[in-house]
Amino acid sequence: MAKLLEVKNLSVSFMTGYGEVQAVRDVSFSLEEGEVLAVVGESGCGKSVLCRSIMKLLPGSASIKNGQILLDGADITRYRERDMQRLRGRMFSMIFQDPMTALNPTLTIGRQIAEAVQAHEPKISKTALQKRVAELMTLVGIDQPEARAGLYPHNFSGGMRQRSVMAIALASNPRLLFADEPTTALDVTIQAQILDLLREIQQKLGTAAVLVSHDLGVVARAADRVAVMYAGKIVEIGTAEEIFYEPRHPYTWGLLRALPSFAKDGEPLYTIPGMPPTLINPPRGDAFAERNEYALAVDYEEMPPMFRITDTHFAATWLLDERAPEIVPPVGGGWNGR
Amino acid sequence: MADDILLSVRHLTHCFRLSKRQVLRAVDGISFDVQRGEIFGLVGESGSGKSTVARCVMNILRPTQGEILFNGVNVCDAAQRRANKKMLQTQRQIIFQDSASSLNPRMTAAEIIAEPMQINHITTPRGSCRAEAEFQLHYVGMDASYLDKYPPELSGGMRQRVAIARALSMEPELLVADEPIASLDVSIQAQIINLFKHLQEEHGFTFLFIAHDLAVVRYLCDRAAVLYHGKIVELAPTAELFSNPCHPYTKALLSAIPIPDPRKERARPLVKFDGKGLRGEGRLEEVSAGHLVWKEAET
Amino acid sequence: MRHPFLYAAQKALVFVLSVLLLSLAVFYVSRLAPGDPLISYYGERAEKMTVEERARAEEKLGLNAPVYVQYIRWLEGALHGDFGISYKYKTDVLEVIRGRAANTLLLGGAGFLIIFGLAILLGIFCAWFEDRLPDRILCRVGTISSCIPEFWLALVFILIFAVTLRILPSSGAYSVGKGGSLSDRIRHLILPLAVVVLEHLWYYAYMIRNKLLEEVRAEYVLLARSKGLGKRTVLFRHCLRNILPSYFSIMAISVPHILGGTYIVETVFSYPGLGTLSYESARYHDYNLLMVLSILSGMTVILCSIIAQVVNEYLDPRMRQGPEVEPDE
Repeated sequence: MAKLLEVKNLSVSFMTGYGEVQAVRDVSFSLEEGEVLAVVGESGCGKSVLCRSIMKLLPGSASIKNGQILLDGADITRYRERDMQRLRGRMFSMIFQDPMTALNPTLTIGRQIAEAVQAHEPKISKTALQKRVAELMTLVGIDQPEARAGLYPHNFSGGMRQRSVMAIALASNPRLLFADEPTTALDVTIQAQILDLLREIQQKLGTAAVLVSHDLGVVARAADRVAVMYAGKIVEIGTAEEIFYEPRHPYTWGLLRALPSFAKDGEPLYTIPGMPPTLINPPRGDAFAERNEYALAVDYEEMPPMFRITDTHFAATWLLDERAPEIVPPVGGGWNGR
Repeated sequence: MADDILLSVRHLTHCFRLSKRQVLRAVDGISFDVQRGEIFGLVGESGSGKSTVARCVMNILRPTQGEILFNGVNVCDAAQRRANKKMLQTQRQIIFQDSASSLNPRMTAAEIIAEPMQINHITTPRGSCRAEAEFQLHYVGMDASYLDKYPPELSGGMRQRVAIARALSMEPELLVADEPIASLDVSIQAQIINLFKHLQEEHGFTFLFIAHDLAVVRYLCDRAAVLYHGKIVELAPTAELFSNPCHPYTKALLSAIPIPDPRKERARPLVKFDGKGLRGEGRLEEVSAGHLVWKEAET
Repeated sequence: MRHPFLYAAQKALVFVLSVLLLSLAVFYVSRLAPGDPLISYYGERAEKMTVEERARAEEKLGLNAPVYVQYIRWLEGALHGDFGISYKYKTDVLEVIRGRAANTLLLGGAGFLIIFGLAILLGIFCAWFEDRLPDRILCRVGTISSCIPEFWLALVFILIFAVTLRILPSSGAYSVGKGGSLSDRIRHLILPLAVVVLEHLWYYAYMIRNKLLEEVRAEYVLLARSKGLGKRTVLFRHCLRNILPSYFSIMAISVPHILGGTYIVETVFSYPGLGTLSYESARYHDYNLLMVLSILSGMTVILCSIIAQVVNEYLDPRMRQGPEVEPDE
C-alpha cells in the first residue's frame, strides 16, 4: 500500500522565556491509506504538538528544527502558508478534545459546516451547499439536519458538538484525520458512540487517522497501530496487538501495569516512580532511564536507537541490544486482561 | 450494626431552579448508607447528580428535601448543625477534581495544609503548624522540600496530594472525593488510587468516592451506587455489581468502558440504554443480599 | 425572555431615577462650593453692594431660600421646561447651550468616529503582526502617546503649529467674520481633534489588539484553519465578529470618557463648546447653567451605558434563549 504520510526525524522546538523546549525530538513514522495510528503518552509528551506541526498549526514561538514531512510523497516541510491552506481540509483536518471551545460560539452549526465546504468549493450553489451540509450532518449521526443546522453550539450537548466538529473536519473529504483526544471531555457512553462513529466513518470513507489519546482503552478500541511517546520521542511503535500483547519498552510496561484493570486483586497498582523530565535540557541518554527499574548503565549515557523486533514493531530501549541481559517482561507474552 | 454507619443519606432531593418555570431535579430522592471504614463509590455520567450529592453532604448545597445523617447528626437541620459545628467541620473533608483551581495559588503548601487547623483552633499534636504540615506531606508521600512550594509550581499529581494532605490534616472520619483523579495522567492516577487504598486499609478512613471511571471504582471501592438522572438505579458490592449487573443502564455503562485489550475490546458490542423504565415512579428492590436494583412501578 | 415592554419600562425607570439623583447631588454640591454667585450676574458691581442691595439681589435670583426649597423650585421649573436663566449671559439657559452644543457635537462626534475607526484598524494591524516589529513599535509609541496629559499635548501643538509654524489657528471655532466658511471651521478643528484622537486612540486600539489575540488563541480558530480557511478569513469572519459585541459596548461606555477629554481640550483651545461653558459656569457659580450642563452630560453617560447593555444582549446569541438539544442518540 502507498504511504500517505511519512515523517522523518522530525524535531520541533518552542522558544520560551526559560529556554528552548524540545517538544518533539527526532520522531519518525509513516501512515498508510485508511489506517488508524494511535499516539499514546502522558500530558506534555509532545503528542499534540506532533499533530499540529504536521498541519503547520503551531503558534509563532514554535519551529520545525529538523526533519521532513512527506505527504503523498511530496515534501511539505518547507511549504508556505498559502500552500498549506490548500492542503488543510482537503488532505488533512483535525478534531479536538473539547468540542465546546472548538466551535465558534457565535455562529450556527450549519454555517460553520458550510464554511468548511466552501473553503475548497467557493463556487458551490446555495442549494447544493445546503444539501451537502445536511449530508454531512447525517453522516455523523445528527438527525433532523435541516432543523438543527440553525442552532448554536450552546444548544448542543457534548456528544452532539463533537459530532458537529467531525462533520466540519470531514467536509472536504480529507484523506487524513488528526483526532486530538476526541473523547476525553465526553462521558463514557458518549465516548464509545463517538469512537464507533469514528471507526465507521473511517472505514466508509477510507480516511486514515492519527488518534492522540492518553487512554489505552480508547486506543485498543480504535487503533490499528500504536506509537508510544515519552518526552518528545516515540519509544515504541507497532500494531495494536504487538503493543498490548508483546510490549518491549519498559515505559509501555509501566503504562499498562498502572491501569486498574490490570491489577490483581488485593495488590496495589503499579506506579512509575518519579516524574517526566523537563524538555528544556533533556537528558543525554534515554529520557526514561531515571524512572526505569530495568535501566542499564548505557541508558544514562547514550540514547538508544530504534531496535527492530518485527517488520512492524520497533522499540527504543537498550534492553533489545544483543549485549543486554535477558529480562522477563512483567506484562505481555500472551498476557490477557480481564 | 447502626453504629457502623457513618453517613446515612435519606430520600435526598436537590432541585436547581433554572428559570421561573424550569426546575431541574439534579438529585431525586436517593438513599444510601456509608459504613465506617469502607470506600463507597458513586458512579454516573455528567449531569447524573453525583457531585450534587457530595456538595449536599458537605453542606455546600442545601437539599430541597430529605436528610443526611453524619455520625447521627442531621446536617440539614440548622439547629443540630450549629450544636455540632466543630465536629462537622473537622470530621468531614472534601477533595475536589481540579486542584489547580481548588487550591489558592498564592498560598504555600504548608499554609494550605495548616489552614484548617488554624481556623478550628486545634492544638497541633506535633508542636507547630509547620511540623504538622510536614507530617501530613510525608503521609501522602511527599517530602519537606515541598512545604514552601506554591500550587502552580507543582505538577497535577503533587497538587492533588497537597489537596489530600489538607483534607487529612483534620484527621477526619469521612473523606468526600469528588472525581479526584479525573484530570490526572494514568501513571499519576495509579499513585493516588494506591494512596486512597492505603489510607483506608492502614488508617481506617472512610471515603465517599465519586467517579465516572468504572475501572477505578471496581478496583478501589467496596460498594458502589450507579446514578442516572438523579436516581440510584443500582447499588451493590463492587464485585457483585460488575459480575452481575442487573439494571439496563448499568449494563450500558459497563459495556462502554474501554478495555485495554484490542481483541476483546473490538469484539465487544455496545449496549445502548434508551432511558426507558426510568421516567416515572419506582423504588429500589433487593435482588440478593445488599444488591439493590431500581424497579419501575407498574402503571 | 422578558416582555419587551417591561424591559423598556425597567430601563426607562433606571434612567429617570439616575438623572433625578444626579440633579440632586449636583445641586447641593454646587452650592457648597465657596464663592459668590452674584458676581457672575452683576459683575464687579456685586462687590460694592450694600447689605440691603445684596438681599434684594439674592431674592431676585431666588438664592435666599434654604437649599432644599431652591431645589424643589428648580425641579418644578425644570419639569415645565424652564431651567432658569444663566447669570452670566442673562438669557435662558437652553438658549446659551443651543449656541454651543453644535460645536461640541462636531468635535466630540468627529473625534469619536475617528478614534473607533482607527482603533479597529490599528488593533487588527497589531494583532496580525503580533510581537513582530510593526506591532512592537506601535505598542511603544501608543503607550507613550496615551500617557501624555491632554492639556500639555494641546499646548505643545499650539506652540508648534500656531506659534512657530503659524499654519493653524490656536483657538476658537472660526475666525472673526468667517463663521459660515467650512474650510475655516475645519482648520480650527484640526488641532483640538488631533489631541482628542491621540489621547484616546491607543487605549481602544490596544484593547482590540488584546481581545483579538485572545480570540486567535481559542481552539475554534485551529478548527477553522484546519478546515482550510486562511488566516485572514478566520481573523475577520470569526475573531472580529466575536469581539464586536464587546467592542460596541465599550464604544458606548467610552462616550463619557471621550466627552470628558473634549471638555479639557475645548478649554485649552478656547473652543466655544459645552466644555468651556461648563468650566466657566462652575467657576462663576452660574448655577442654572451648571445644572443643565451636568445633567446633560450625566444623561449621556447613563444613556450610553444602557445602550451598551442592550447592544451586548442583542448581538451575542448566547444571551438569547434557544432550544436545548438534550439527548444523545
